Amino acid sequence: MEAPSVQLADKILDRLVKENLLLAEDKTKLRAKLAEGKLKAEDWRLALELAQAKDLKA
Amino acid sequence: MNKPLKKLIIEHLRGSVVPFSLTFEKGKKLAVIYGENGTGKSTICDAFEFIGKGKVGSLENRGLGRTDRYWHSMGKSPSDVAVELETADSTCRATIGPKEVVVVPADRRPRVEVLRRKQILDLIEAEPGKRYAAISRFVDVGAIETSEGTLRQLLTDLTSNREVAVARVQENQDTIRQFWDAAGKPIPDMFGWAKAESSRDISKADGEIAAIHSLQTAFTQLTSYPDRVAGAEAKLNFEKEAQQAAEVELNQLLANLSQDTGQVVEILQAAQKYLAKHTMIETCPLCESGEKTEDLADRVNHRLAAFSEYQAALTKRMGTNQNVQKAEHQLQSWLESASQHVAQFELCRQTYTWPQDIQLPASAAPREASQLSAWLTTNSQLPAGWNKAGALRQDRKQFHIALNKAYATWRDNTQAQKELDSLLPRLTKALELVAAERKQFTDAKLSEIAERVGVLYEAVHPGEGLNKISLQLDLKKRASLEIGASFCGQDTRPQAYFSDSHLDTLGLCVFLALSAMENAEKTVLVLDDVLASVDEPHVDRLIEMLYSEALKFRHCIITTHYRPWKQKLRWGWLQNGQCQFVELTKWTATNGLTTISSIPDIERLRQLVAESPPDCQLVCAKAGVILEASLDFLTLQYECLVPYRQSGSYTVGELLPAVSGNLRQALRVDVLTGSDESGQLLYKTVNLGPYLDEISRIVQARNVFGCHFNQISFDLLDSDALRFGQQVLGLIEVLVDGEAGWPKNGKSGEYWQTAGTTRKLYPYKKPA
Repeated sequence: MEAPSVQLADKILDRLVKENLLLAEDKTKLRAKLAEGKLKAEDWRLALELAQAKDLKA
Repeated sequence: MNKPLKKLIIEHLRGSVVPFSLTFEKGKKLAVIYGENGTGKSTICDAFEFIGKGKVGSLENRGLGRTDRYWHSMGKSPSDVAVELETADSTCRATIGPKEVVVVPADRRPRVEVLRRKQILDLIEAEPGKRYAAISRFVDVGAIETSEGTLRQLLTDLTSNREVAVARVQENQDTIRQFWDAAGKPIPDMFGWAKAESSRDISKADGEIAAIHSLQTAFTQLTSYPDRVAGAEAKLNFEKEAQQAAEVELNQLLANLSQDTGQVVEILQAAQKYLAKHTMIETCPLCESGEKTEDLADRVNHRLAAFSEYQAALTKRMGTNQNVQKAEHQLQSWLESASQHVAQFELCRQTYTWPQDIQLPASAAPREASQLSAWLTTNSQLPAGWNKAGALRQDRKQFHIALNKAYATWRDNTQAQKELDSLLPRLTKALELVAAERKQFTDAKLSEIAERVGVLYEAVHPGEGLNKISLQLDLKKRASLEIGASFCGQDTRPQAYFSDSHLDTLGLCVFLALSAMENAEKTVLVLDDVLASVDEPHVDRLIEMLYSEALKFRHCIITTHYRPWKQKLRWGWLQNGQCQFVELTKWTATNGLTTISSIPDIERLRQLVAESPPDCQLVCAKAGVILEASLDFLTLQYECLVPYRQSGSYTVGELLPAVSGNLRQALRVDVLTGSDESGQLLYKTVNLGPYLDEISRIVQARNVFGCHFNQISFDLLDSDALRFGQQVLGLIEVLVDGEAGWPKNGKSGEYWQTAGTTRKLYPYKKPA
């Protein structure tokens, strides 16, 4: 059984991608950090800005 | 890792003074180990915990300190202790190592969960924090909360940054407006003007400021030379006059002295120097005479003193000569310096293209010092103009720098504000989403656990009004869990209103629900005497619930000293198709744990009937007991008329006639014989009436042979006794499935069925 944090990380990342707040290709690299509590402010900002940039381009 | 268990061997662990072996029956995932107190049930549980968790929990919390001192059997040492578990595909063995229990091979160590009687209320009665710890492995998402915290902090920081950016934008907008006003609003677009101004090249202004500064410096340097040169000339004249006076004085003195005085003085001065170095002489260094040498130095000094006036005049003249030389040198130096600075000024003046507002001298600076003063006087008003021009350019430069800075700050902050205006809503949405997902996840997990607990609890206590079990995280406290329940329609804490028995059940249900959630198929579940406080009406349902839950696990071991369970299993009142029943007999210091074979009564009757020659007394006695059980079941199931009695116990003579008439004729059982190719179940129908009729005919054999010493038995045939036994055996084999139990389930509404529908008893209702 996967740890609750890992299960929840998957749900959160899926939801963020669905809402165009995160790029699908960023999910893998953010998963472990998010589940381990190591996602820093700059990681969040970069991920959200990349998704925003793609959103604006589209 | 989840292959079925085959055998457990316990060597010298606690009660196993001699190696004890427990073989698990193939195909049965539940083992019920029955034994009176002190028979070694807990030793078996300890063995599972020893090999699975490396500890012996039954000794904990007894004030023993370190319990490993008591793990081995009396008379043995820790090195003698071993537990071996054989499964369908491997064997692993646990022993006590230097620091901990060692299992070889380690990767075959079984996953074990143990619940003991004394622990059963732990989860219910524990503090909310400890309760949370028990379920944290399912719901603890603290790491996600940490990541969420950084997102929240980022949102806070960027919101603050945006506020700063907005303030700076306004602030610099005001500054630009002031500059724009000051510049006379050259164009309508204030920011367009600011942009153009700030991009203007100001290096020309810097060059002009530097050139003006150089010109001023060069001019200022020139202004000092007229005075300096004049002073130097006056000084030179003065020194020359002093030189002439000293010469006159010296000549006058020389005229009064002999013509060779000067030469004599020089000789004496030389002698004085010599004698100062050579204090002890024997002869005169000049004439080499040895006479009067003792006071020669004194006499030389004395003679020189007589020439002192001449010497002073001589020294004075030499001094004035030097002073004249110095004055001449100084004058020459100033003249040369003035000439250089004149050249420097001219260089400044001629090598730069001066703007029109810079007024320059009409003529070049004169190289002759005598003309410099007049030239400086003529141009003395020019430096003030240069100052003004320099200050004007400096002001323009400062204006440009300030405007440039204001415009850059305004532009950068406007951009930052724009970016944050776009990013912040996304950040806010992301944070809301993360928080919502976390809450939803936790709630769902808690709800899943609570729902499962509720289902299990309801299975044991159906419709008792104690339901809606809930698990609630305390939002005001970190890692704190409350258990809630509904009692008489009111939400409350179960600890406040539930009886001990109900709380026991609830604790067991929580344990089972949590254990089933995590790798149940790999887990050996061990329940050590957990039924003790469950009251009689609920035991059957609890056991049924345990049966169905046990199927989820790799194996389930339940120990009990609850005697009715043994009897109910013997009589098939409980479905036992998946259940292995093991009975422990009294523990002894010599033999340790010992199992005894427990043969169900029906099986015992089958053996008695098959014996040759048969023991008629035993056959009738055993058959009579089984017949009573069968009739007891039928009369209860069909609500037959029997005497209403306080004791509730009846004889065959009262029960057998009660099953009569239309009911007896209608009683039939569909016995499962197999299934066809399509999987359809196949049944054989057997009427019970003929069995009951024949039993009624020869039932007196039971009392005559089976119950009492009776001379009448001398007159009866052994064949009647044997037939009684055979008829009862036939009846019970049709009515009861040795594995699935009695047909007590009426959920079909048409018949009564056993578990798995191996028997279908008709009719559903007693015929009129």
